[in-house]
Amino acid sequence: MSLWADKHRPGALARLDFHREQAARLRNLVQCGDFPHLLVYGPSGAGKKTRIMCLLRELYGPGVEKLRIEHQSITAPSKKKIEISTIASNYHLEVNPSDAGNNDRVVIQELLKTVAQSQQLETSTQRDFKVVLLTEVDKLTKDAQHALRRTMEKYMATCRLILCCNSMSKIIGPIQSRCLAVRVPAPSIEDICHVLSSVCKKEGLTLPHELAQRIAEKSGRNLRKALLMCESCRVQQYPFTADQDIPEMDWEVYLRETADAIVGQQTPQRLLEVRGRLYELLTHCIPPEIVMKVLLTELLNNCDGQLKGEVAQMAAFYEHRLQLGSKAIYHLEAFVAKFMAIYKKFMEDGLDDMMF
Amino acid sequence: LSLSCPGQQTLPDFIVTDWLASSFDDFFGSASIPCSAVAVKPLRGRSGRGHGHKQEHPTPVTESSKARAPARKRAKPSAVDVPCARTRQSQSQSQHELLPWVERYKPETQNDLAVQKKKIEEVETWLKTHVFQGQPKKGGSVLLLTGPPGSGKTATLQILAKDLGLQVQEWTNPLSLDFTKEELKNMLDHDSNFHTFPSQAQAALFQDFLLRANKYNKLQMLGESSENDKKLILVEDIPNQFYREPGSLHEILRRFVRTSRCPLVFIISDNFSGDSNQRSLFPTEILEELCIFNISFKPIAPTNMMKVLNRIAAAEASMNREKSYTLDRNSLELLCKGCSGDIRSAINSLQFSSMKDCSLEKEFWSKKKKSSTIKCEEAEVSKVRKKSKCDTSEDQDIQAIGGKDASIFLFHALGKIIYSKREAVSEAESPQLPAHLSEHRRDTLLIQPEDIVEKSHMSGSMFNLYLHQNYLDFFSDIDDVVRASEYLSTADVICSNWSTRLVMESYSASVATRGVIHSNTSRAFAHQHGGKGFRPLHKPQWFLINKKYQENCLAAKSLFSSFCLPPECLQTELLPYLAMLANPMRNQAQIAFIQDVGRLPLKRHFGRLKLEALSDKDPGVPELFQWDGDSADGNPEGLPLPSSQSSTSDLPGSQPQPVTAQAILDEEELQIEEYDSD
Repeated sequence: MSLWADKHRPGALARLDFHREQAARLRNLVQCGDFPHLLVYGPSGAGKKTRIMCLLRELYGPGVEKLRIEHQSITAPSKKKIEISTIASNYHLEVNPSDAGNNDRVVIQELLKTVAQSQQLETSTQRDFKVVLLTEVDKLTKDAQHALRRTMEKYMATCRLILCCNSMSKIIGPIQSRCLAVRVPAPSIEDICHVLSSVCKKEGLTLPHELAQRIAEKSGRNLRKALLMCESCRVQQYPFTADQDIPEMDWEVYLRETADAIVGQQTPQRLLEVRGRLYELLTHCIPPEIVMKVLLTELLNNCDGQLKGEVAQMAAFYEHRLQLGSKAIYHLEAFVAKFMAIYKKFMEDGLDDMMF
Repeated sequence: LSLSCPGQQTLPDFIVTDWLASSFDDFFGSASIPCSAVAVKPLRGRSGRGHGHKQEHPTPVTESSKARAPARKRAKPSAVDVPCARTRQSQSQSQHELLPWVERYKPETQNDLAVQKKKIEEVETWLKTHVFQGQPKKGGSVLLLTGPPGSGKTATLQILAKDLGLQVQEWTNPLSLDFTKEELKNMLDHDSNFHTFPSQAQAALFQDFLLRANKYNKLQMLGESSENDKKLILVEDIPNQFYREPGSLHEILRRFVRTSRCPLVFIISDNFSGDSNQRSLFPTEILEELCIFNISFKPIAPTNMMKVLNRIAAAEASMNREKSYTLDRNSLELLCKGCSGDIRSAINSLQFSSMKDCSLEKEFWSKKKKSSTIKCEEAEVSKVRKKSKCDTSEDQDIQAIGGKDASIFLFHALGKIIYSKREAVSEAESPQLPAHLSEHRRDTLLIQPEDIVEKSHMSGSMFNLYLHQNYLDFFSDIDDVVRASEYLSTADVICSNWSTRLVMESYSASVATRGVIHSNTSRAFAHQHGGKGFRPLHKPQWFLINKKYQENCLAAKSLFSSFCLPPECLQTELLPYLAMLANPMRNQAQIAFIQDVGRLPLKRHFGRLKLEALSDKDPGVPELFQWDGDSADGNPEGLPLPSSQSSTSDLPGSQPQPVTAQAILDEEELQIEEYDSD
């Protein structure tokens, strides 16, 4: 029994649920048996990976779905061993080079070289080229991106790259221009409702339309999240009711409580407690950037319209610091302190205005 | 006897020497070692020479420790007996004059000691209770003397032992040259444990020494009186093996404590660098378990030090006026300050700077004097600034003399920054800040933050972490906190680039420390002693948190690789929902991980994470930081984070065991197979 999101993942371009027009175009693209390097981008949970796998299946047949996980070790020029796990079929190789951290350049160079240097043996049943799927390309260092650019040119004959990322903004121009960019936008609310109800039908459940609508809205147009929510609703209560609680992720609730705590009192002692909570979130694998982002949203919900601009600006400032710096807690804490001060001042001014 | 040693039969020439040696042993030692006792003694797999060594042990230990003592850097009572050597013969006098002053003027009575009277009394009472009152009811009689080098630990003990009529039996680390050829040969024969042999032998010898010294009295040599049979065992050299495995020392001590007859004294110098001997060798659990009494010496107080230096200078001056150059009071004071409470180094530098035939030195001194007197005159003119000015100028002087690098423990360093001392500035003297900047007005700082960070022997970023962990407790206004936290944030950004980090760290520490000091308005002026009183200091949690974050991320990646999701999605979307789904297909390790990481302790009144208090003499670098490298085999159970599982009592019935690293690895393998079968 696997997750609904995996179980009901469409396997062919023709069976995709939304952005059908784009799917048709992709099918046309691979019809001739070849395609340029692709750069697939779009928000998380929009179906990028699904689309790519459908494309590969169109190209190579069902053999693509027979996957195996391999752990490869690559020796960097500095004699340092880098362990990286890849997911591969006979026809393609999927790798997340940013797993290697600062050594992602080595992974790109060495891994692609070994893949691309070997020709396909049987060209009658197979294509002339292999496909390498690189995920999270926007997390690559500049170094690695330049290495990628060179590799793209060099091994064009034996290898096609599919790059997958959330945002193109962090990808250098030369790579952008060497790829065919495919934007996969987030599904609309209706799309998500449609998918949810069709999945529920396949599971033999009846999903009230209102609940589907609410889940879709709450998911922030992230289909994976919507499916996970729906499945956890099922665990929580069945038969569904239109107004049942949609379970939220613990860390989001926790952050909301944290935001309430910040708004509730603005003292150094409270800041110390908030620091403890931030630490707790970090140990639960929530990346500091996400903490900052979600905390900002929660805080913005809590504060007056006048303040929003200033608070968002402070968040941006400290988020930038967070990226530059090495220890996230300094910046998260500085942001919280700053918010506390702004908020406190605002409240005091408000009180004064009321008095006089 | 020799027949009982199989190794000797093959090598005749060794038999001869050994036989000679052992027979002499018998000759001297017949009084105390009955033959039967020797014959029964088990060999414990050690070679003939080792056996012989053991036999002759009770005699040579005391002798050799006495004989070797003068060669060592520390002063021993046997080296010099009478302080005033003029009455002696010419030969001994010249010899006496060649001695360094540290030896020549070593303390003879309790009154000579520069150590605090209280500490001496403490040691004395301990010795009295443990030597003269027979067996203490509970626990052994082990004393641990700690303190910075040159604070008079050894001298105190020697003098007290003399006063109380105790014999001191001291352990000295045997040189590896003590091994005979035969033993070497034996070692080479079984070359399997060649490398480990010497150190083990050292530990074994130490144990042997302790047990024997405990059991047997010193041999009575001709002409020695037999009235004082009380003694104590002193250990200053600790066999190297114990630094690597403190456990073996603890084992030996446990055995010693069970059978102890005479007190055992350890003397350990504090050191400022990370690896604290005292902490690794005698952790608090052991101190409590074995009832080890710890007396910690303080650096010698300047007044006491001055007394001693004056005494020595006077004695020197009266003895040979022509040879040495007499220092005036000012210079002595400088010396006193320069050696930060280390009396040995103070006496050494006193001797060094009193050398007369060094003409350069003289000029140097007079110049120094002049400059310092000028400074002092200045200081009298501007009375308010006197202290700080003099401090800085003298600091520089001391550097020039070659005094010791002063260092302070992290605890005090942090305290100095957080409870920043200021001195009032009179209105007339300092230019006033313009009105719009008046909120930034502060009294003069009495400390140099950069100096303090440097003296704490810590990297800037590390010091910042300590500061960050602790500063909030001392702030009362949120606006101050905003400024301080912004400075800390800036400090982090400054030293984030790894290629420039080494250079930037000191700047970063400067920004952070000065930022925190300046932003605390409740301590802006000298008369304000900032809202908060004493608060305990804590060690930074960041390393623990960060390590746990990294570990959890790695574990998530390896446990859930079959989902083929980028880490961010995995951690923020999949895991939390999986925790709610309670999906039966997962294996134990996955369930455990999901419940631990996917769940957060909601709605619970949040307290702070468990904090590790920073105590007086803790080394700066937390242990976590040191074993950063092998984080893979860190056991998650050992981490003092509150497990969030405790709050979620409504978990599915099969509550899995905590994941160990091994389990994770095993599961990983399983995972791949499982995936293939899909």
